[in-house]
Amino acid sequence: MGSIVAAFGSLVIGGVVATTTIVGVVQSQTAAPDKSPVSVNSTVDDLVAYGSD
Amino acid sequence: MRERAQAWLPAAWAAVLALVLLGPALAPGFVLTYDMVWVPDLAVRPDVWGLGSGLPRAVPSDAVVALLDELVPGALLQKLVLVGFLVAGGAGIARLVPGPPTERRAVRLVAVSAYVWTPFVAERLLLGAWPVLVAHALLPWLVLLGRRWRVTGRAPAALLVLVPLGCLSASAGLATAVVLLAAVAGPRRPTLRAVALLVAANAPWLVTGLLHAADATSDRAGAEAFALQGHGTLPTPLEALALGGTWNSEVVLPSRDGILAWVGLVLLAALLLAVRGWWAATSRREALTLVVPWAFGLSLALLTWVAPGAVAWLAATVPGGGLVRDGARSLVLCAPLVAVLAAHAAARVAARVVEEGPRLVLAGALALVPVMLMPDATFGLASRLEAVDYPASYAVARKAAAGVPGDALVLPLSSYRQPRWNGGRKVLDPLPRWLTSDVVASDRLVVGTTVLQGEDPRVSAAADALAESTPEARAAALADLGFGVVVVELDAGEAPEVAGRVLLDGDLRVLALDRPDVREVPAGWAVAAVVAWSAYAAGPALALVLVVRRRRSDQRR
Repeated sequence: MGSIVAAFGSLVIGGVVATTTIVGVVQSQTAAPDKSPVSVNSTVDDLVAYGSD
Repeated sequence: MRERAQAWLPAAWAAVLALVLLGPALAPGFVLTYDMVWVPDLAVRPDVWGLGSGLPRAVPSDAVVALLDELVPGALLQKLVLVGFLVAGGAGIARLVPGPPTERRAVRLVAVSAYVWTPFVAERLLLGAWPVLVAHALLPWLVLLGRRWRVTGRAPAALLVLVPLGCLSASAGLATAVVLLAAVAGPRRPTLRAVALLVAANAPWLVTGLLHAADATSDRAGAEAFALQGHGTLPTPLEALALGGTWNSEVVLPSRDGILAWVGLVLLAALLLAVRGWWAATSRREALTLVVPWAFGLSLALLTWVAPGAVAWLAATVPGGGLVRDGARSLVLCAPLVAVLAAHAAARVAARVVEEGPRLVLAGALALVPVMLMPDATFGLASRLEAVDYPASYAVARKAAAGVPGDALVLPLSSYRQPRWNGGRKVLDPLPRWLTSDVVASDRLVVGTTVLQGEDPRVSAAADALAESTPEARAAALADLGFGVVVVELDAGEAPEVAGRVLLDGDLRVLALDRPDVREVPAGWAVAAVVAWSAYAAGPALALVLVVRRRRSDQRR
C-alpha cells in the first residue's frame, strides 16, 4: 500500500514540477521586460549608472 | 561502454542547462553585459599585465585572454568560457556526490541543477563577473583534487593548471584559496605546498596591486553600495542562504520577487532536515571541506550587510580592503555545500519510492526544481543576454590610433555605456579594450544616486587637464600627462573639445596630440611584474612538461 502511495505521489510531484516549469518558462519569455536592466536610466548627470541598490 | 556513457550524464545535463540558460548569448557575436567586455583581439599591452596607472582589476584575466585570443578568436573564446564554466561546474559537483560516477545518476543530476541554476550564477552572469564564475566552476574540482593531495601526499598535476585558472581575478583567487586550503589542510607538507601554489597563482594581482598600494584604498560609500541586499520578497539573510542578494537590483530576476522565492525557501528549509543525515554519512574531515568555505563565505557576505561601516573603514584604510565589499560575491563559497545537500536530500526522498519508474520520474522532477524556481533564467536570462556585433567604427578607430606614441584617453570621462547597438544594455565602456596602447578611462562608478570616486590618479589628472579653458590648452595639458591619443565617443554624452590632429571622424573621433610626454613603466615595476607573472605561468608550464614527459614514456613502452 505504502509503495503505491509513494509511486502515485512521485508521479504527481513530477507532473506538478514539469507543468510549473513549462508555465513559468513560457510566462517569463512572453512577459514584458519591465524589470530589465535596459529600462533603468541614468540618475546622475547623464552618467550611465553601474547599477541601482 | 554503457557505464562510460553514464559517467558523462552529469556533464551532458550541465551542457543542456548551459544551452538553455545562455540561449541567444551563444549566437555569433559578443555578449556585453556590465563588467563582461570581450573584443575580437585584446592587445597584449602593459596594462593587461597590471602595469597601467589604474588598479589591476582585470589581472590576470585580461592578460590570459589577450594571449589566448591570439589562438582562438575573441568571440569564440567567450562562448567557450561561458559554456565551459557551466559544464565544468556541473560535472565537478556531480563527482562530489559519494559513490562511483556510474551510480546514483539521478541524484547527481540534482546536484548539477542545484549548482548551475542558482540566483548566484544568474546574477553574476548578468553582472559579467566571469572570472568569479570560472572559479565557481572549479571549486568542486579543487575539493576533489585537494582531498586526493591530502590523502596521498602527492600533488595532482591538474592543480598546476586549475589553480591559476581559478585565480583570474582577486576575488576569484580568494575563493580558490579558501576552498583549496579547506580541502588540503592537514598534513604539513601538502598544506605548505598548497599555500605556495596559491601565492604563485595569485602573484600577478597581488604584486601589481602592491605596486599601486598608494592608490589601492576605495571610496567609503562603496561598502554600502555593494553590500549584500535582499531585493526580492525574502529578507536579506534568507536571500543569502538561497545564494542571492546581489547589490544591484537591476540584475535580480523577477522570479526572485514573488511566490517562487518563498517556495525555494521552503525547499531550502527542507535541505536543513537533510543536514543531520549528511553529516552522519560523511566523514568529519570531508564535511568540513565544504562547511568551512560555506561558513566563511556566508559570514563575509553577512558582514557587509550587518556592518557596512566596518567594511567601509577596511576599504578606505587598508589597500585592497575593497575586495570584500561586494557581499554577495562571497556566496560563491557557499554553493558547493548547498548543491551537495540538495543531492543528499533528493537521494533520501527518492529512496522512499521502491519502483524504478516512479523513482526516476521523481528524481527527474527534483533535478528540474531549480529551473522551476527560476524559469526566467532560461534563454539568455529572458533575453537579457544576447550576442551583438560591434559597429565597424571600433575596428577603424583601433587601426587609426595604433602606433601613435603615448597613452590613449577615452572621452566622455565616464565608465559605463548603454549603446543602442547593444540593445541598450549596460556595459563597461568596451572601447578601451579595442585600443592597442595603454588606455585611461574613467573609473568613477554611479550606483543609484551615489557617485563612487575611482582610484586611478591619472583619471583625476586628466579631468583637471580637461578643465582648462581652451581646446589647445587641454591638448597641451593632456600631452604633458603622457596622452598621445584622445578617442571621443560622440554618441555617449558630452565631452570637452580637445585640439589635435584628426585621425578619424565619425561616431568615434580619434585625435592625435602633439609631443606627448610618453609615460615609461618604472624599471622596478617591470622587474616585479616579470617575477609575478613567471610565478603564475610556472604551474601551467610545469604541467605541460609533465604531460609531454608522460606521453614520451608511454610511446617508449
